[in-house]
Amino acid sequence: MSSIDDLLRHPGLWRAREQGGATSQPAGRPTGYAALDRCLPGGGWPAQGLIEILTDRHGVGELSLLMPALAALSHEDHGDHGEGWLACVAPPYQPYAPALVACGIDVRRLLLVQAQPAEWAMEQALRSGACSAVLGWAEFRNRQGLRRLQLATEQSRCMAVLFRRLADGNEPSPAVLRIALESSRKGLVVHIVKSRGGQAATVQLGWLDPAAHAVAH
Amino acid sequence: MPGVQPSRVTVREQPGLRPAPGGGRGAGKQVRAAATSNELWLAIHLPHYVLESLRRSTAAAQPVAGHDSGTAIVAVDLEGGGKVVCAGDAAAVAAGVTRGMALNSALALLPGLNVLARDAQAERALLEAVATRAIGFTPRVVLEPPDAVLLEVRGSLRLFGGVRRFIAQVRERLQSMGVAPLLALTPTPLASLWFARMGEEVALRSRDGLASRLARLPLACARWPEKRLESLAAMGVRTIGDCLKLPRDGFARRFAPQMLRALDRATGCAPDPRVAFVPRQRYSVRRDLEPEISDTERLGRAAGPLVDELCSFLDLRCCGVNVLDFSLLHRDVPPTRVCLRFAEPTAQAGRIAELLRERLARTELPGPVRALRLRSGPFMVANQQAGDLFARARGRTTSVPQLVERLRARLGTDAVYGIQAVPEHRPESAWEKGDILLFQEKGDILLFHGPTRSGDGKGECPPFPGKGECPLFPRPLWLLAEPQPLEGEEHPRHEGRLEFEEGPERIESGWWDGRDVRRDYYVARTTGGMRLWVFRERCAEGRWFLHGVFG
Repeated sequence: MSSIDDLLRHPGLWRAREQGGATSQPAGRPTGYAALDRCLPGGGWPAQGLIEILTDRHGVGELSLLMPALAALSHEDHGDHGEGWLACVAPPYQPYAPALVACGIDVRRLLLVQAQPAEWAMEQALRSGACSAVLGWAEFRNRQGLRRLQLATEQSRCMAVLFRRLADGNEPSPAVLRIALESSRKGLVVHIVKSRGGQAATVQLGWLDPAAHAVAH
Repeated sequence: MPGVQPSRVTVREQPGLRPAPGGGRGAGKQVRAAATSNELWLAIHLPHYVLESLRRSTAAAQPVAGHDSGTAIVAVDLEGGGKVVCAGDAAAVAAGVTRGMALNSALALLPGLNVLARDAQAERALLEAVATRAIGFTPRVVLEPPDAVLLEVRGSLRLFGGVRRFIAQVRERLQSMGVAPLLALTPTPLASLWFARMGEEVALRSRDGLASRLARLPLACARWPEKRLESLAAMGVRTIGDCLKLPRDGFARRFAPQMLRALDRATGCAPDPRVAFVPRQRYSVRRDLEPEISDTERLGRAAGPLVDELCSFLDLRCCGVNVLDFSLLHRDVPPTRVCLRFAEPTAQAGRIAELLRERLARTELPGPVRALRLRSGPFMVANQQAGDLFARARGRTTSVPQLVERLRARLGTDAVYGIQAVPEHRPESAWEKGDILLFQEKGDILLFHGPTRSGDGKGECPPFPGKGECPLFPRPLWLLAEPQPLEGEEHPRHEGRLEFEEGPERIESGWWDGRDVRRDYYVARTTGGMRLWVFRERCAEGRWFLHGVFG
């Protein structure tokens, strides 16, 4: 029996029922933070669709929040989700390679794009299907651009994260998941503002240490 | 075996006759089956090469003398004074215009004649284009200027399904280029050429009947000097067969030894070594646009055939190009150059056309474009990958290099980059920017497998972050381009008083290269909940700086 199981796990073996789309509702990608996973439908970041993270300042842990999932994507092999490439479009500061390595990100496959506005580059990265995750920092003034982005994410199986300002949370958005970040004395507080298939919630995460979670992988 | 017939070989030394030593009485008598190989040569003769080359290089006829109303076209040689017709199309021939006719006579016959100037460069380019196409059928291709190409095809016949199908495919391929070839196949290159020149489209696989079939050809097929042909005609020698009956030694003495050698080669008695055609290592083509084009979208469409031609050219050689240089030629102003750079060698027409459209859309034309020139960079071995059977199901359409080059085409080369970690103590030197695709190739990269500060081996880790290891102390996910000075003497302030979480981590390094660093790093938290990476300089002033944000 075990030899058959081994055989079925072989990457060269393709099973007809696994052809894209045939499987049921894809499960979420674990966030790496159990408390957050419990509050999200599918037990993690949605596998498809746009994720919006609303925060006014950088440094509250907005990137650490994503790091475990990105590290998993970065090492997830290959083909199924676009070879594990990550794209950062218009990041506010320079991503620091040693820290990313410590979080378990394969920086060889990190694509940095300086683009203003970021919409076009994000859409290209999403539509190319070459990336596993696309992170973008953009101010969307028109809802059409946001809608296009959401459409692009629905057609790809790529994790798409858009960082926006807290004030933008008042505007409607086609995103699948919207979370607002708040920093407190005790650490990071995540407010789930909108979650398709889930419900609004507030999660106290404490101080995030992405490197520690990387080890847990 | 055809061609090797020992019974018919008679050997008699005959000084001065090379390369066929000896022979019988007849000039072309089978002396020795010198070429014992099984070669089969296909001759591609282009009877209308002058006009075809002109048609290929110009989108429409370019009138020389303003006679552009008629449909009939003739070409004249400007170097020869432009007085004599050297080629005419079917309409011109039907009206009685012949080759060698004075231009004035031709104009008298057809007042609306369209007169074009012959273009030697275009003729050579046409021949090379035909040869390049032919390389798809066989690796042995020989140019026979000005109007023929020879192919050694013995090894290719089976692949293409026999002689008849092979010839049909060659013809189809050439006709798709816009040329009307005459094709003849025999065991020797010269015989094939002669048959093709005379319009006899034969397919002879064996050497047996070759001499007798050749015998019927008129001597004009050999293109010997006019004087020699005249004196032969005066002797009553009008066909190859007549020639073959003449005594060898006398023939060689009276005429040129080369003529005897040609006969030997045509009949397969002497070897006929040929220099194989080597296609160019760069691709360069020019197309005139008629009428001139001034909007970039139509220009992109006009460039389509050029790109297709380039790609089929590259495909044949399993090559790709990194750099393509389009020149848009204007009438008065210097040409506009559009240079396409690809992230990896490519030979995909769709990809090139897409990038070209993207670039053209952002190009401002100083005036209408009258010609397009495409020059390729050096050919590279293309990274051709097998397609993924289920690629569509997975929604994967573009590879990363393609994405990179599309982003670069719009945003500029520097806007898309990669980073990598460098084993270095100084934080600002512990990473570097670079070309994302080069990082991929190098492979000599830090990979995550070392201990972290939260691992079990706390305190045991080597202090130097060596290759493949991560620093023991925390590093921020965001680094500031330049350390930013902070207020505060003993205690730094940033949006209020900072609270230290961890530290100090002392970094002293770099005294040898002039970028000396002596700092104590701390992890600090603002009252607003941001985690910052700050340091204090280890000197008398002891100023505080913000260097990173933990993100």
